[in-house]
Amino acid sequence: MKNFRVTGIQARLLVLIAIVIIFSLTTPYFFGAENFTNIIVNASVVGVIACPMTLLLVARQIDISVGSAVALSAAAFVVMTEKHSLIIGLISGLAAALFISAINVGAIVYLRVESIIVTLAGLIAFRGLAKVVLDGRSVTIDGWDYIGEHRVNILGLLPVPVPVIIFLIVLLIFYFIMRATKYGSNMYAIGANPESARLSGIKIEVQIAKAFVLMAIAVFIATTMTVSMTGIASPTSGQNLEFLALTAVILGGVGLGGGRGTVLGTCLAVLILAVVDNALVLRGVQSFWQEVARGSLLVLAVIFDQLSRKRDKTVRMGI
Amino acid sequence: MSAKNVTLRVEDLNKNYGSVVALSGVSFEILKGEVVALVGDNGAGKSTLVKCVAGSVFPSSGNIYLDGEKVDFHTPGQARDAGIETVYQQLALVDTFDISENLFLGKEVARKGISRLFGILDRKEMRRQALQAIQEFNAKFPDVNAKVETMSGGQRQIVAMTRGAFWGKSLLLLDEPTAALGVQESKSVLEVIERFRSQKQMSLLIISHNLEHVWQVCDRILVLRGGNLVANLIKNDVTKSDVVSHITGAYSK
Repeated sequence: MKNFRVTGIQARLLVLIAIVIIFSLTTPYFFGAENFTNIIVNASVVGVIACPMTLLLVARQIDISVGSAVALSAAAFVVMTEKHSLIIGLISGLAAALFISAINVGAIVYLRVESIIVTLAGLIAFRGLAKVVLDGRSVTIDGWDYIGEHRVNILGLLPVPVPVIIFLIVLLIFYFIMRATKYGSNMYAIGANPESARLSGIKIEVQIAKAFVLMAIAVFIATTMTVSMTGIASPTSGQNLEFLALTAVILGGVGLGGGRGTVLGTCLAVLILAVVDNALVLRGVQSFWQEVARGSLLVLAVIFDQLSRKRDKTVRMGI
Repeated sequence: MSAKNVTLRVEDLNKNYGSVVALSGVSFEILKGEVVALVGDNGAGKSTLVKCVAGSVFPSSGNIYLDGEKVDFHTPGQARDAGIETVYQQLALVDTFDISENLFLGKEVARKGISRLFGILDRKEMRRQALQAIQEFNAKFPDVNAKVETMSGGQRQIVAMTRGAFWGKSLLLLDEPTAALGVQESKSVLEVIERFRSQKQMSLLIISHNLEHVWQVCDRILVLRGGNLVANLIKNDVTKSDVVSHITGAYSK
C-alpha cells in the first residue's frame, strides 16, 4: 500500500481508459475515429471554460455565471454582426464578456460579496439580458463557420478540428500559468491558506480580479466557438456550461477546499464526462435520464473529493 | 544611548476597537541585536501590539520608528519590505507547499531576462537559497523537499522562523514560538532563536506565555497588562517571580 500509490492524474487517466474500453465493447458505433473526434470536439467548449474555472476554484473562488455570460456574449456578437460587421460583432462579444467580469470583480473584490452569490445573480440576470438583446429569438450568423467546420492537418497526418486545437492552446496556457509563474503559485497559496497569503504580502484582491479577467477572455473564446459550431446565438446558448465545467473541475481533483489540483486533472475529467455523455446518447438513453446521470456525476465527484480530503488529513495527523 | 543602536522605537501607541481599548500609550525601544520578550495575560494586548508593528493592524494613534525612521505600515507587505518579519502563532505557512515555496511565499524569485516579464518562477534558485538558509541555522529536516503538511509542529515552526530570519533585515517578531510544542521540540526552537541572535545580530521580539522558555533566550522583558505597558525589565536585574507579579498585577508600588 505504501509503496504503490497512484497519483490523482494517473487515477483519472485509468478511469478514462477503462470507460473508453468498456463503452467500446458494449456500445455500438462508440469505437471509431469519427466518434472519438466528435467526443473531443464536444468537450472542447467545456474545456476552454473549465481551465479558468480550475484557477478560480484553486483560489477558493467560483463563477457559476459563465453559461449565461456565453449567452450574452454570443447575443452581442451575433446581433452586432447582423447590424454592422463581423469586426464590430467580435468587439461587442468581447466587450460583453469583459463587462460581466467587471461586475463580478466589483462585487466580489470591492464589495466583498461571496463569489457564489454574485455569480448566481449573474446566472439569472445575464441570460435574461441575452434574451432582451435577442428579443427572445434565435439569430443566425453568416461568414463565421471556420472554427466549427474546418480541420487543420497537423504534420500532414492527422486532421484536427479547430475547436480541439483552441482547447489545447488554452489548456497549455493555463498549465503554464498555474505551474510556472509567480501568479499561479500565489493563487495556490491563496486557496490553501488565505490568511498566510495575505500576511506574506500577496495582494489577494488583485490576483483574484486577474482570474476573473482570464475567465472573461475564456468566455469570449468559448462564445466564438459555440456560435461557429451552431451557426446561431439563441436564448439557450451556453446553457449548462457552468455546471459541466464545475463538475469537471471537481472531478478533476481541485475540490471545494482550494489550494490543490491541476488543469491536467480537469482536462481528463472533461474527457471522462464527454465520453459518458456520448455513450448515453449512443445507447439511446432518454434525455431526461441523461440529465439525471449528469447530476449524479457531480454528486459523485463531490463525495470523491470529501473522501480524498479525509484521507489526506489522517496522513497529516500521523494516523 | 545613541539613536543608531535603536532598531525599533514605539512611541505612545494606542489602538481602540470601538470602545474597547486594546493598547493604551505603549512606548518602548528595542536595541540592535537585542532579544526582548513580551509577556502578559490573555487579552493584555500582546497580539495587537505585534500586529501594529507588523503592519496587519493599523494603530489608532502613536508613532513607530524603524532604524530611526518613522514608518506607517498599512499592509503586511509594507512591513516586510521595510525589514520586519513576523512569525505568527497560527504559523503563516501554506501546508501544500514545500520548504522553499514557503520560504519565498509572496517574494518568489523570477527568472532573468524576458521570463521576468511573465513572472516565471526560478524554482532551482529558490531551492538553492532555501537549502543555504536551512544549513546556515543548522535546522534539521528529514526531507527538505517534503510538503510542510507532513512535518511535525516543531519542524513547521522552524520553517516559519527560518523564513523570518531569511528575509528580516532589521527585526523578527515571534508570536508564541513554543506554544503547543513538546519539550524536545521547544528546545530545538529555542536553539534556533539563539543561533539567529549569534549569527545574524538580529533584533527579536518574542511573545510568550511561557516565561520559562523566554527566560532562556531574552535580554529584556516587557510586561503588558490591560493594554498598558506596566514593566520594562532587564532580565539580570529581576527574578521570574517579580515578572509574574507584574503580569498578574500583584506587584504594586
